[in-house]
Amino acid sequence: MAVITLPYKYLERLTRTDKKTILDKVALIGSDVERTEEDHADVEFFPDRPDLFSPEGVARAMRGYLGIETGLPFYQVKPSGISFTVDPALVNIRPVLGAAVIRGVEFDEESIQSIMSLQESLHWAVGRGRSKVAIGIHDLDTVKPPFRYIASPRSRKFIPLDYTEEMTMDEILEKHPKGRDYAKIVKDFPLFPLIVDKDNHVLSFPPIINGERTRVTIDTKNILLDTTGTDKRAVGVAVNIICTAMAEAGATIESVGIGGVQTPTLAPVERTVSVQECSRLLGIELNAATMASLLQKMRFGAVPVGADKVKVQVPCYRADIMHDWDLFEDVAIAYGYDKIQDLPPATFTVGKPHPVQVNAALARETFCGLGYLEVMPFTLTNEDTLYKKMQREEKSGVLHVMHPISIENTVVRTELLPLLLEFLTLNRHRELPQRLFTVGDVVESCLTYQQAAGVSTHPDADFSEAYASADAVLHELSIVYSVKESADPAFIEGRRADIIVAGKKVGVFGEIHPSVLNAFELEHSVAAFEFDLRAVPGYPAL
Amino acid sequence: MAELTQNEKRLLGILKNEKKADAPHLASLLDATPEAVVQWAYLAGDKGLATVERFVAKEFVYTDEGKAYAKNGLPETQLLRFIRPGTSLADLQKHEAFRIGFGQLRKKGLVKVDGTSVAKTPGASTDTDEAALNSPSAADPRTKELIKRGILQESETVRYAIAITPEGLARAKKGLDLQEETGPLTREQILTGSWKTANLRRYDVSKLPKKVYPGKIHPYQRIIAEMREILLEMGFEELYGGIVQQSYWNFDALFQPQDHPAREMQDTFYLRETIPLPQGYEKVKAMHESGGETSSTGWGGVWKEEKAEQCVLRTHTTSVSIQHLARNPNPPVKAFCIGRVYRRETIDNTHLAEFEQLEGIVMDEGVHFGNLLGILREFYHRMGFEGVRFKPSYYPYTEPSLDAEVYIEGIGWIEMGGAGIFREEVTAPLGINYPVLAWGLGVSRIAMLRLGLKDLRFLHRSDVAFLRETPALRNTKGGV
Repeated sequence: MAVITLPYKYLERLTRTDKKTILDKVALIGSDVERTEEDHADVEFFPDRPDLFSPEGVARAMRGYLGIETGLPFYQVKPSGISFTVDPALVNIRPVLGAAVIRGVEFDEESIQSIMSLQESLHWAVGRGRSKVAIGIHDLDTVKPPFRYIASPRSRKFIPLDYTEEMTMDEILEKHPKGRDYAKIVKDFPLFPLIVDKDNHVLSFPPIINGERTRVTIDTKNILLDTTGTDKRAVGVAVNIICTAMAEAGATIESVGIGGVQTPTLAPVERTVSVQECSRLLGIELNAATMASLLQKMRFGAVPVGADKVKVQVPCYRADIMHDWDLFEDVAIAYGYDKIQDLPPATFTVGKPHPVQVNAALARETFCGLGYLEVMPFTLTNEDTLYKKMQREEKSGVLHVMHPISIENTVVRTELLPLLLEFLTLNRHRELPQRLFTVGDVVESCLTYQQAAGVSTHPDADFSEAYASADAVLHELSIVYSVKESADPAFIEGRRADIIVAGKKVGVFGEIHPSVLNAFELEHSVAAFEFDLRAVPGYPAL
Repeated sequence: MAELTQNEKRLLGILKNEKKADAPHLASLLDATPEAVVQWAYLAGDKGLATVERFVAKEFVYTDEGKAYAKNGLPETQLLRFIRPGTSLADLQKHEAFRIGFGQLRKKGLVKVDGTSVAKTPGASTDTDEAALNSPSAADPRTKELIKRGILQESETVRYAIAITPEGLARAKKGLDLQEETGPLTREQILTGSWKTANLRRYDVSKLPKKVYPGKIHPYQRIIAEMREILLEMGFEELYGGIVQQSYWNFDALFQPQDHPAREMQDTFYLRETIPLPQGYEKVKAMHESGGETSSTGWGGVWKEEKAEQCVLRTHTTSVSIQHLARNPNPPVKAFCIGRVYRRETIDNTHLAEFEQLEGIVMDEGVHFGNLLGILREFYHRMGFEGVRFKPSYYPYTEPSLDAEVYIEGIGWIEMGGAGIFREEVTAPLGINYPVLAWGLGVSRIAMLRLGLKDLRFLHRSDVAFLRETPALRNTKGGV
């Protein structure tokens, strides 16, 4: 999530109203006010609205929402006469380039910070950590056009930002902090992307680092923006968001020629939507005129066209408008969620429990009747608990997660009993007898199904108790079973039995083996059982 | 008049004649242990019928080492007896008491070593030490020294003297009913009617017996069951689905772009397993790449089959409800699912890598955003939350989206869940032609509030004492 710092004075000047009015309403356009400080507020915006990742963008939206200035914001773009060429060798490396000239900026420490943080937020939300889009901002007056975006040998040297010595591009990936952070994006290419000027001075090694030469300072008056990446739409959006934010701050925007095309245009995109469709989706009465004015409040250009259509101009910075419904959401926001009448739908249906949960509830009821207390262990566990401590072989269908968070959580459980024993360990200091059960999901070879298990520990817990309890639960679930001597090493030989239904083993009961008790650091004997709930007659196929 | 137990009566009966006696003496007369007699005496004492005096006597007893010295003399005494004029140090070293005794002799200045020979100092004697050993006394510093040397030990003996008070005597003289008490009624007593004359033991109603604990479901399960009941009452069908899902159903069918950060290895648990894509996946592919036949632009780029085939531990139950919709594309559908979902989060007291999620969906002709708000308000009201409000939000597969907040006394407005209408990009490839209202919430969040937990892990690694003590019926006010 992007948390944006909004300095009150700057925000008030741009929005043309007081900070209380702004902060009272800013959540209603889709945000969370994280904290309010003496001179600024930190507000979190959603990742689909990168145009709100700057005070300029927030002010623009709030002027509309508060009715101070509505409709499409217009941004004039003059040609700068500056051009770029793009090396065809970049096609498989980093083919897309966007650029713009921003003139007449007036920087102070705060506004430099603001644009840097917009750049970082865009890297995160639009750029996927610079792999899809990376943005460079340069002092235009330190270099000479025309510029060239080339695929360069990796041995090329230049002085990267924050350094005083020349380094090769390979050295930058190895030594520069930014080089180390982002090396994975380019390191496998034979040639690296590079932007140079007429005199071959390096502006940028995208997506890694700028050159020190073009560093932006308080004295910078004119900016050259470069944006490179792999996705044309994402690169365009990043350019539009930065340019329009700078224009809101008072700068003028000029286009550059890239391969003969003038860019950016900062022109809106048109979309014609149906009033009726919007009314139906939102459940509110609208006509074309009210819908258009609600869209204007959200800074769209909107004109009614006949009774059922509104022609909408979507500002160039609104990357999130992909579909007509995206506009309908803005209509709902402008209308106010609190003003929409909330009525449950008239749809008639009858509630229907799922048979798996019905059976689980029956099993729970029987366990409770036997005096067992329910526990709800985690489903992620480890081989040590599940198999090694139980003296059992690892099940072939056990699923290993590829990147576990810790050695405690490496596999998805294939049975419940070991987790109940773990619970007894956890509760060793509590009064005996302890009788615990759990009913829940296990997974084998990608198939999820349910098992039920119970343990009883006290000095007299024995095979007979395990047998009697298992029998009671099986009986209540109408499971007709037979038994035969088991070979399960988790139990004591001669005190263990397999539960057989239709010739197939569906569970086991008995007295837990002393070595298993030792492994779980338990001091009293444990009568235990576990079975597969798929043995219940009429159980649904999963 | 305070009721007397049978044992108190027996004690008073004996004391009537004995007046005052030691506990062991009374115990032998009553055929009980002295400890039991003292206990009865205290009970009678509480009623002012007897007194109990406790005497503590200090005694000195010999340790094993001390017992040997009491017989043979202290080591230094033994050495002193051994030393004759001309005894060499080497001779003395051979004496078994040398190791301990010689140091004592030197310390007390009773011997002098002159070259290789040893001699007593004039008047050397250990008589006073021997006296302290034979009749120890707390006042004697030498006794203390012997305790330090581990030769003597202090021991305490406690003696009880029990006496009857004038009130007790009066009570005893009035006559004590010593007829045997009856505890549990026997079958015999019930059938023959002998219970009528039996002396039924009276119980002290203020004393709770040893606790018993019922078997019961987990308090968290109870909250899940309550939500389930509410949704069944509201006409929803319950869904159940697998923990392991293809990325296709977990992400792609929900229009989550393949390069979305939530799909990365650091947020989602991936498995090595893959499952082939279902029929009709091409429509989902087209939707991602170009928006299919809708007004959408799609995400652009190339959608990769192999990414969609990869299995994950489901990150939301939406992966279950979307498959239900795909199987049932005709209206109406009203369904819900409560199940465990997985996020690759660092575990702390408010974040778990696995937690329960509740999700509901409604698909029907003509349902709209206002209906979604209505369902949410109804659901939260039934959960006990009076104040409910909505604000704009963002979820990748819904549009419009919202967050629901509920008002909790003493806490304020807190976020309780997210909701929205499934994007057309989600529904169109599955052949669903009507809006799908969807909402979800974290079940553990409500559980944490209701059960007053500081640590979510406690739900899954519970203390048995907590489970035993948490009542099945808890007074919930304002939802918590």
